[in-house]
Amino acid sequence: MRDFTQKKPCVTVIGAMTQAMRAQKVLAASSIRAEIIKAEADQSRKGCSYALSYSCSEEWNVQRILRESGVLRGRREDGGA
Amino acid sequence: MIYLDNAATSFPKPPRVIAAQEKCMRMECGNAGRGSHLLAMRAAERIYECREAAAGLFGVSSAERVIFTMNTTMALNYALKGLLHKGAHVLLSDMDHNATFRPIYKMAKEGWITYDVFPTYTNDSHRTAEMICQGIQALIKPCTQMLICAHASNICSAVLPLEEIGRLCNHYGILFVVDAAQSAGHLPIDMARMQIDALCAPGHKGLLGPQGSGILMLGEGIVADTLVEGGSGYQSLEGDMPAEAPERYEAGTLPTPALAGLCEGIRTVERLGVDSIERHARELNSYLQKRLLRLPKAIVYAPHHVGSVLLFNLDGISADTVGNALNRRGICVRSGYHCSALGHATLKTPIGGAVRVSPGIYNTVAHMDTLIDALQEL
Repeated sequence: MRDFTQKKPCVTVIGAMTQAMRAQKVLAASSIRAEIIKAEADQSRKGCSYALSYSCSEEWNVQRILRESGVLRGRREDGGA
Repeated sequence: MIYLDNAATSFPKPPRVIAAQEKCMRMECGNAGRGSHLLAMRAAERIYECREAAAGLFGVSSAERVIFTMNTTMALNYALKGLLHKGAHVLLSDMDHNATFRPIYKMAKEGWITYDVFPTYTNDSHRTAEMICQGIQALIKPCTQMLICAHASNICSAVLPLEEIGRLCNHYGILFVVDAAQSAGHLPIDMARMQIDALCAPGHKGLLGPQGSGILMLGEGIVADTLVEGGSGYQSLEGDMPAEAPERYEAGTLPTPALAGLCEGIRTVERLGVDSIERHARELNSYLQKRLLRLPKAIVYAPHHVGSVLLFNLDGISADTVGNALNRRGICVRSGYHCSALGHATLKTPIGGAVRVSPGIYNTVAHMDTLIDALQEL
């Protein structure tokens, strides 16, 4: 569960739930804990999308790992961040 | 009761499969991909685990290429109707199940496609992969778009050489679709190595899972048209289904408890080992065949293929009479045509078909002895 007393986490929109599961596993393999959340409406123009929420201290690593694993390259959600 | 109809569906299911299903129904049965609350996420995790387990067992490039269907028939229909273009020519084998033949027959009858049936030489004890490939090559046309075949027959233990056929299809640029209804969990299958474009498998047979859990596995780069459209929990404002697998193909709620059970079934298969499972069934049928052939009335079909399925008749007694008589003695076998018009024609069984015996992981030599004793009384 997210700890709402902490600093606001970073969020990356992934797309479908299966891709989000994959992304979460890829990050977990690098010891980065990420939570799957529903993306906010302004982040998913096509409606209903999933995102990963994680500590902003990992932002650079998260983007790199997801790019290298093909998760971000593979997503099609136009409204994604 | 002695259950010898594992080619129809495996029974009993391993206790771990039943426990996983029950646990899911009690504690994890949200709607996967519909929201991100605790229960929806538990369901999504169970389903993703099942995708990973199937991908690992069958050499699928990624878990997202594993699509869940209700059964193998649905998966085969998806592969055929989602991949074939109008005017395409299709090759299927002379041992294929109606799950393959009937959709092809209908599409051909309606003028969408044409088809030819390639010989598998199943009755020939000296058949080779080369013979089968030559038979296929002779039927390939410029418009041939797909070759589809059952890896293992559902009425005898004949197995097709997937690696050689896959190589041939790849050479001619033909889609290679495999019906693994009888081989999944019994024979090693590697989609990448065998160059399979679409692999269709049941969860409830050799994978030891519950009914309602079929799998369609698509090769890298293979995109099929959708057969069923609806909610996927993703891109809900769009009229089109999403482009990404598996959500593109999985409209509507998935059977999470069945898939939790299937995941445990696949793990059980991996623990026991595909080779050990097949060896066990082969040893039982080999023993049965030897005893059966000592009965004066027994006719065994394609006896040179010894494996998990054995087909026989008792001369002068119809297959259904034998099936009914065995049922009265508490023995479950399957009599008739086994939804395989092509296969029965190839094996030249008489009117009424034949009797099929398909042992599973829980059967023993004593069960085979009881079966023989019962047959001797007929």
